[in-house]
Amino acid sequence: MYSNIVIQRQWARLAGLFRTLSSLEGQKLPVGRKSIDGISPPVRISRSSTDILQALAATVGVDPTAPHFKYHDDPFLIPQSNYRKRAYALSAEAGRKAASWIRDEQSQLFTTREWDPPMKMKTPYHNADPPIDAFNPRPIYNDESKVTEEDLLYTIQNALLEDAIRVYQLLSASEGVNDDLKLALLQLLCFYNEKEPIAAEWLEERWFAAATRERQATTWRLGGLADKIFSAMDPKTPEAYCTVIQGMAKYYQAERAHALAQEAMEKGIPLSTSVYNALLSCVGFLKEGTTLRIEALKALLSQMNEQGISPNSDTLTSCLKSISAWGGGKALQTFALQIVAEFKQLNIQPGLSAYYYLLCLFCKERGPRIDVLTTILNDLEGRDSLEPTDAMDTHFFITAMGVCSEHLQNIDLADRVHALLMKDDNYRLVGDAYKESIYYRHLVSVACRHAPFEKTAQLLDTLIPNIYVPEPSVMEEIIKTLELAGAGDRLAEVWSQLVVFGLAKRVKLVERLLDALCNCYTYQDEEIKEKIRSAAADMLKFGQMVQEQNEPESRTPIQKLSASALTNIIELCADVKDKADESWEVVGEALARLRSEQASGLPSRPEVISSVAKKAATYGKPGLAATAVTYLAECGFEEATTACVETLGVMLNRPTDEVQTLLREPRSSLESSLHPSALVIAEAFHLAKTGAPIDSSASSESDSETSDDD
Amino acid sequence: MSLFMKRNKPGVVFNTQILWRLNSTVAENKDEEEFRVLDILKKKDSRQKRIVRRAEVAPDRAEKMPTDQNWGNVWPGPRSFHPSSVPLPIRQGYVPKGQVPPGKKANAELMKIPNFLHLTPPVIKRQCEAIRKFCTEWPKLLNSEEAIDKHYPVEIITSDYCHASPTIRNPMARVVTLRIKLANLDLDKHAKDKFLRLVGDRYDEKTDLVTLTADRCPLRKQNLDYVNYLLTAAYHEAWTVEEWEKEKMEDDMEYYVWDNNQSKRNLIDWYHRVSGTEQVLSDEEYRNYDISSIPHAKEYKEAVSNLFNEGESEETIEKYGGTVRKLLGLPERTV
Repeated sequence: MYSNIVIQRQWARLAGLFRTLSSLEGQKLPVGRKSIDGISPPVRISRSSTDILQALAATVGVDPTAPHFKYHDDPFLIPQSNYRKRAYALSAEAGRKAASWIRDEQSQLFTTREWDPPMKMKTPYHNADPPIDAFNPRPIYNDESKVTEEDLLYTIQNALLEDAIRVYQLLSASEGVNDDLKLALLQLLCFYNEKEPIAAEWLEERWFAAATRERQATTWRLGGLADKIFSAMDPKTPEAYCTVIQGMAKYYQAERAHALAQEAMEKGIPLSTSVYNALLSCVGFLKEGTTLRIEALKALLSQMNEQGISPNSDTLTSCLKSISAWGGGKALQTFALQIVAEFKQLNIQPGLSAYYYLLCLFCKERGPRIDVLTTILNDLEGRDSLEPTDAMDTHFFITAMGVCSEHLQNIDLADRVHALLMKDDNYRLVGDAYKESIYYRHLVSVACRHAPFEKTAQLLDTLIPNIYVPEPSVMEEIIKTLELAGAGDRLAEVWSQLVVFGLAKRVKLVERLLDALCNCYTYQDEEIKEKIRSAAADMLKFGQMVQEQNEPESRTPIQKLSASALTNIIELCADVKDKADESWEVVGEALARLRSEQASGLPSRPEVISSVAKKAATYGKPGLAATAVTYLAECGFEEATTACVETLGVMLNRPTDEVQTLLREPRSSLESSLHPSALVIAEAFHLAKTGAPIDSSASSESDSETSDDD
Repeated sequence: MSLFMKRNKPGVVFNTQILWRLNSTVAENKDEEEFRVLDILKKKDSRQKRIVRRAEVAPDRAEKMPTDQNWGNVWPGPRSFHPSSVPLPIRQGYVPKGQVPPGKKANAELMKIPNFLHLTPPVIKRQCEAIRKFCTEWPKLLNSEEAIDKHYPVEIITSDYCHASPTIRNPMARVVTLRIKLANLDLDKHAKDKFLRLVGDRYDEKTDLVTLTADRCPLRKQNLDYVNYLLTAAYHEAWTVEEWEKEKMEDDMEYYVWDNNQSKRNLIDWYHRVSGTEQVLSDEEYRNYDISSIPHAKEYKEAVSNLFNEGESEETIEKYGGTVRKLLGLPERTV
């Protein structure tokens, strides 16, 4: 039959030459990157299922104007202060936690599907396809639940420590637990010291967890479940010994750890490298004094050597951890360097945590300035990638930046550290929210002090407020830098930043800002001057608003702006060329506050007030001028008399001598001839000269008159 | 003094600079000492005093964006429009003639439509560069559509679906479509005829494509196997000649073949009669008779075939008339 041959040929052709629009079929021919005959497709470049996504994600950089993606991108919902950042993120996570709690409590709703009548049939319900474990309800264990070894295995594998303990207790009461599971449980208990860890699921909680630096104190639970399980084990396997010794050493139960290690060695039980590492890291608790401690460390190392156990990079880290905990001093520093050199000969590179301990050892506060950081950076910059291996690795960058800013005070090194942190995905080494904030505190303060202004400004623009919100001390540093550079517009913006960062109630900062504004006010452009004036006016109003809000429940006394600060506001706001300008109201308000003694202290520059009084008189604001000079007189400043005379001169448009003679006239004649405001000034003059008003009864009366007139 | 205080009641909007906006009003009852009475007739002016609290809301972040920023970082993925993140003075919405369309803030029209702010040309370029390393070189000889058609005649079309849902399955993904040009199949006249009868309306005359779609099996792989099987089976079947196919009569023909029909005999007989060489021919001889010796016979054949195959239309009839006139040596029709 003819058909056979033809179809064979055709079939082969069809099978070989399928061209597909979808990606997978038709790429099975094993050829090189190029197609061999120019027609058949080259072999597929192997990639994992997420490689393309990662490549695309790598094209997206940082947008300094955007908040972190965990927040809503909406002006009303973007957190602007540290408090809000924390509150918003944790609230969102609290919602997730509540949802997962309901999922666990009402698990039947999420595992079965109930069909509509007639049958009311129930079938298993799958929330995802393929199934996702994280979506499944967690089992809840209580004293009545029937548990099996599988439950114990599940709880151990998911690090559900308290559940694991409960299941273990239930199991050991009924049928007992096999040795493998016991060992696994022991490992879990020793690793976490019987304390429930924060689940990896709750990212925000881990990120914002109060990062108090862990104390080097004995926290190991003596006689806890771990100890009980271990002592009940028979025979005690090497794994059990290793586990318990490491757990004790990790939580600084040094003596028992070493005693157990000794016991194990006498029994001829082999110990692992990590056990020795753990022992090395707490060797200092056994001995007192540097030399004895060094000897103990060396003895332990040589013991390792005798046992034929090869050290790894964790060994180096543990040694340095111990050494750095013993204080400073030349001897320890040279010893540490010796150890590092020796490990380098063994081709073991120090990790980030090792470098962290070195920095701790060398760069002490108030110690001599030693630059080990440059060498460390040279080494780290040469590496391909920084892989986190130790929990302490996250301390490196914050410490390095701290050294740059406080110990070495070197902006170039700080730049290098920052560049290293920003490289690839090294940013995960920043640790948590607390560390990140301290890191940026150091970076910003070193930049403010030592970097050129343009660079600092650029840095501030990228960091603030979405990545970092400055603390009050750093804010002061920033204000100082801006003042030195004379950046008036930025200083005016600082006020609104203070408000949104929740720092506006800190009087010291506001006063500092006002000083800075006054110092660089004179040489700014008209537009910027306008901005500065409105900022100053706003400060005054903000103070008032805070006061009014707090009045009903004034538990904490509100700090008030000092008299000097108010003077600064007066000076800034009085610099207008128009009678109708709203700034005059602010000046009046500030003066009123000064007079009613709402401000602390006395103004340091009374001459400002006298010049403002004159200016107010010139622009036809006699009430203001009167208040100003009266305040001066009441406070007993020397400038009061001359200010009175000059202001009155301006107001009445007469030369000084004439005013002098006028003022000598008795009050009754003045009252009829003078404008009420002028009369007040005359009274102020007398007050300043004699220390008492002309007529004490008339004084208060005329006071109220002036106010009404204004 | 009292005057100064009066002008600074809470809720005053600050003049020049936008520092924050007012956003919420909180009602507060001042006289909490009194026992509250239900005031049905509203005798007292008991309107609750409103105190405006302001929350510190920063200005739109679009205002802070530098002009030389990298837009891909600001808008990295598909997202519905958000006015505070887009620094463009966009307007959208239908308004009566002469009015201005509403601006970008609180504009539902802008949020409804899908936007492509995440796929600006520079971003596309950058993304292409990023995934270039996963691409292999295009085979050199496949440099034209013709070459592709020649070497890869069979085309398989499937679709993949991506959802924002926990399941990655989509039932539509199982559908497989196979396309092949009929010209690429090795078929003779009979086989082609039979093949076309087998595929039926899956053949498109305009593009010469046979399209086979399978969605009867639950998995794509099964459907793929099935379309391959369909093509193979149809091809096989087209080449087999069954015994009963020989019984096909003139009436069973699906189209008019002039060579088999009376029309040709009439023409040949007429020609012989006219030229004076009358002879008797068998059926076979009639069929194989070479008509090129007869002037205008070819045109006549075409015209008759068309008349039967395409049906009667003004065009075919006119053509038929014209060729008959030519054949018989009559003058052209004049109207």
